[in-house]
Amino acid sequence: MTPLRDVIVMVELELRRIRHDRAELYTRAVQPVLWLVVFGPVMGALRAIPTGGVPYTDFITPGIIVQSMAFISIFFGLTVIWERESGILKKLLVTPLPRSSIVIGRSMSSGVRSTFQMLIIVPIAMLIGVRIIPNPLYFLAAIAVIFFASGGFAAISVFIASIMKSRERFMGIGQAIIMPLFFASNALYPVEMMPPILKALSSVNPLSYIVDAVRSLLITGDLAQLPMDIAAIAIFDVAMFIIASISFKRIIK
Amino acid sequence: MPSAVDARGIVKVYEGKVRALDGADLQVTSEKVFALLGPNGSGKTTLMRILTTQMPPTEGSALVMGHDTVRGGADIRRIVGYVPQEMSVWTDITGYENMLIYAKIYGIPSESRRQLIDEALEGIGLSEVADKLVRSYSGGMIRRLEIASALLISPKILFLDEPTIGLDPMARKVVWEKLSSFKREFGTTVFFNTHYMDEADLYADEIGIISRGRIIRTGTVAELKRSVGGEVLLLELEPDGIGPQLMEQLRAVASVKEAVLGESELSVIADDAETALPGVMRLLDGSGILVRKVSMSAPTLDDVFLKYAGTRLESNSRIADIAKVRQTIRRG
Repeated sequence: MTPLRDVIVMVELELRRIRHDRAELYTRAVQPVLWLVVFGPVMGALRAIPTGGVPYTDFITPGIIVQSMAFISIFFGLTVIWERESGILKKLLVTPLPRSSIVIGRSMSSGVRSTFQMLIIVPIAMLIGVRIIPNPLYFLAAIAVIFFASGGFAAISVFIASIMKSRERFMGIGQAIIMPLFFASNALYPVEMMPPILKALSSVNPLSYIVDAVRSLLITGDLAQLPMDIAAIAIFDVAMFIIASISFKRIIK
Repeated sequence: MPSAVDARGIVKVYEGKVRALDGADLQVTSEKVFALLGPNGSGKTTLMRILTTQMPPTEGSALVMGHDTVRGGADIRRIVGYVPQEMSVWTDITGYENMLIYAKIYGIPSESRRQLIDEALEGIGLSEVADKLVRSYSGGMIRRLEIASALLISPKILFLDEPTIGLDPMARKVVWEKLSSFKREFGTTVFFNTHYMDEADLYADEIGIISRGRIIRTGTVAELKRSVGGEVLLLELEPDGIGPQLMEQLRAVASVKEAVLGESELSVIADDAETALPGVMRLLDGSGILVRKVSMSAPTLDDVFLKYAGTRLESNSRIADIAKVRQTIRRG
């Protein structure tokens, strides 16, 4: 199982980096916490959104976790650009690591950061009264969903990095991808509320499936849709890994 | 002895426009230290990236330790060590952790990992800072860490792209001492790119001269210097004095083999400089050219380069080098 071993090494690298510098984890948590503490209660007080009996802040907590995961992952390409400008990528190319392992391994290491983010957001959500299903297996499954979904978005980011070679342009594109996906998903409101066009878009929006999976595992406990969500995430990941591996050739030129 | 590197007719064209290599042929003897000497932009890095299997050549083919760089890439990657020109370690983890990650990438078994890493760090003189973040290392220490991680697998051939660029003279010396002792111990072939003549002169057994994407001459340092022949007269002139016609006349002076004009100095290569000097001075005087200073020396690698490439290697300041490298990278 060499490819698996390769990915584990890359994950270990990321864990070691985080261990030496935790500051970024905390600063990145500021934005999701604002959504939870300010946006959630204020919108919830309006009682304008039908959430199926779930308090509004509880309803959006999975959406906020997923949004935070998507941002971390989409900006992961900045690390790849940095590794390309330095000699790290060149050096990795001259090791026995297959190129696909480099792409998937580097992508999955963004899953490590997203997982830590989730571990910061969930306790804060619980503090302000969000009821998380008290089942450790469900919670671990939700972590796995975030971890693997993060890899898919990081692979998109590797693809963008292969086209945009400057950091500044990259930042703009990253925002321009995640915000529309976020607002056209079920993160802040149920899909049923959307106009038909958005509803159709939502059905091909990977974020909707990820949010749905995390929401069912953490908040509602209704796992009926979970197999389909997981299938959609798996297809999304594989497709993105393939695209990123192909575009990777452009990065190293 | 079989060649460590055998490259034939290598052409590399970037994006259908830039011709970085233009039919480079090169053979490197096993277990020697080989220097590829050439100015910035001559194609050194491109050739090394092809030899280390990072990209295929547009035309031609190359063998490294008997394996084809395109078809046998995976075999080559298991036996080469490589230190790129730019920094290639993670600065936000420790030196030891960098080595550990590379040891795992190479699949070094866990029971021998710790000992191998400790030995490698000890050998390169980094034991004391092994548990410090690489961010706190000096440039020389980072280079040594990179070399240590390239040596972790005891490679059959070690590729170093401008190994001492940006280092002060002391740090350069330490890097080379470590490389030389490793080479003595393991008989590894060392292939390095440089645009510093002194470095090629001091540390290389064999040298290849590269200019505008072609290897124009290879040989031992002594052979190359001998091939220039005789001695070198260096004349400092008032600028803007010499036309092509006068250059021809200079080349015709008794004992003169070659004359090359630089920005403000004239280099004359002669079998016997003392015989050539009066004739050269007479010609210059007769054309009204003021000679400020004359010096005589045995040929250096710079003269070798001058003879075969037609230009001198510029000696830019090292900081300017790095700035240039960074710019080139950013431009992509």
